[in-house]
Amino acid sequence: MKISSLISGATAAACVLGVALTPRAAAMISDEDFNALKSAFTNQDQRIGQLEKLHEQDQQTIQQLQQRLGETQTLATNAEQKADAAARIQPVNPIPSGTMSALHNFAMVGDAEVQFGKVQGSHSGFVFADFAPIFLFRANDNILFEAGFDVTLQNSAVSLQDNQTGNGDAGTSVSLSFAQLDYLYNDYVTLVAGYMVLPLGTYSERTAGWLNKIPDDPLAVDFLPGAGVGAQFRGALPVSNSGQMVTYAVYGANGPSSIDGSGRATTVDADGNTIPNISLNGNVGVNSDGSSGNLNGNPSGGGRVGWFYPWKAHYDIELGVSGQAGPWDSGGHELWSAAVVDAAVHIGPYAEVKGEYINTWQQTTDAGTIRARGWWIQAAYKLAGLNLDMPVVNDLELVSRYDGVNNGLGTTTDRVTAGLVYYLTNTLLLEGDYEWLHSRGPDALPSNGFVVQLSYGF
Amino acid sequence: MRSTLINKRRLVLAGALALACVCLGVVLAHAEPEKKAEPKAAPKKLTGAELYAINCNRCHPERYATEFTSAQWKTIMTHMRVRANLPAAQAKQILKFLQEDAGN
Repeated sequence: MKISSLISGATAAACVLGVALTPRAAAMISDEDFNALKSAFTNQDQRIGQLEKLHEQDQQTIQQLQQRLGETQTLATNAEQKADAAARIQPVNPIPSGTMSALHNFAMVGDAEVQFGKVQGSHSGFVFADFAPIFLFRANDNILFEAGFDVTLQNSAVSLQDNQTGNGDAGTSVSLSFAQLDYLYNDYVTLVAGYMVLPLGTYSERTAGWLNKIPDDPLAVDFLPGAGVGAQFRGALPVSNSGQMVTYAVYGANGPSSIDGSGRATTVDADGNTIPNISLNGNVGVNSDGSSGNLNGNPSGGGRVGWFYPWKAHYDIELGVSGQAGPWDSGGHELWSAAVVDAAVHIGPYAEVKGEYINTWQQTTDAGTIRARGWWIQAAYKLAGLNLDMPVVNDLELVSRYDGVNNGLGTTTDRVTAGLVYYLTNTLLLEGDYEWLHSRGPDALPSNGFVVQLSYGF
Repeated sequence: MRSTLINKRRLVLAGALALACVCLGVVLAHAEPEKKAEPKAAPKKLTGAELYAINCNRCHPERYATEFTSAQWKTIMTHMRVRANLPAAQAKQILKFLQEDAGN
């Protein structure tokens, strides 16, 4: 019995010991595992701290967004109220389509020239030749208003004793070279109205200080009105996809006018000088006495037809025929008319030849028909075409022009001009030329002269 | 006699007819068949760069696209379309070409 009791007791004790020791045995983990657990716990603690910080930031962001939402809602409400107010007011004039940007629709281009020159019989000197801004205002895709000015310096006249005239202080002369409204009616028709550049030949339309390779204009261009007050339809018709096109322009303008109103060839000014009695572009609709109206009661009409054919880029030919006719005296009995043939050829990017033949007829009551006429031809060659690969040479262009004119009043002039153009940049040109003139008649021009011009196009 | 003459005439007529048929046959055999006209390839449209090279150097030195902003080019090209009498489609192509590299 005892033994069985002992055995039972020992067994029970063993069981108790086994139960008591087992958790201790399970709780005994290695140092490595403990450190790993500790590290994991530390990391978790850090993460929790970071998450709490993020949460705080998110809360701040949410507050800011709520504030902005409130402001946006206020703006939207204001805009809605403004729209309501605007909707109640009907616009008198239709609102033009297209985006409107007050500054971006305005552009100014143009050019400025400074010269140094000498003509025979005068001293050499510097001349601020011209500041010619062109203002462009585009109302939308179809409407452009453009105006060009010429601002020059000239000494003012001072009356001296014995009816002499001296040179006083410098005065600024501002003249309007054109001011026209262009309405692009469709792809083929543009309406132009105002003080328009007239399409007689191409020189007047394509002239500017930095465009002309020779500073002086061709002599015969003076026989034509460069601009006139009137209206014009113009456009271009493409022929195939080669770039070939036919261009047209047809216009009506006030036309030339008589200075003294008569149809006589000449008149006498206040100083007793005999001057031509015709003003080519002075008939602007508002007269010197403040009255308005065309000086001769009948408009002049004119136009140009041109053909342009490029056989490839920089190789092209353009031919044009233009003319104008209309009365010039106040009675409307005497006609002034003009015919111009123009041509231009480009043979590669380096060579060009162009010219015009100009013929005018002025009927008069005392001198028959005065035929002022002339022609000019100009050739230019860029030395870059020689492929010499030299920096200065590559920027030089040789240019030469021949003018021949007869003013119909007994003066003939032949002029040969030889010059150089140096391109400091694509729009900053240094030009120099020498002119040999042979002029005979009562209005003969000085024989020779040279001019150097710095011209900047912008 | 008469019948011989008639026969001779008939023979000559038949011979002439035969000869004509043979000639016609020879001509027809050697006639070239009509060539089908090959459709000409339509000239491809000029790109803005090509139109720029054709038109924008005729009267003045080239203006570089970066000289003006995109909006300024739109205004200037409207002026040039009128002044140089450019077709509308060409002016639009040139404008697009210039605006791609317009200055800021």
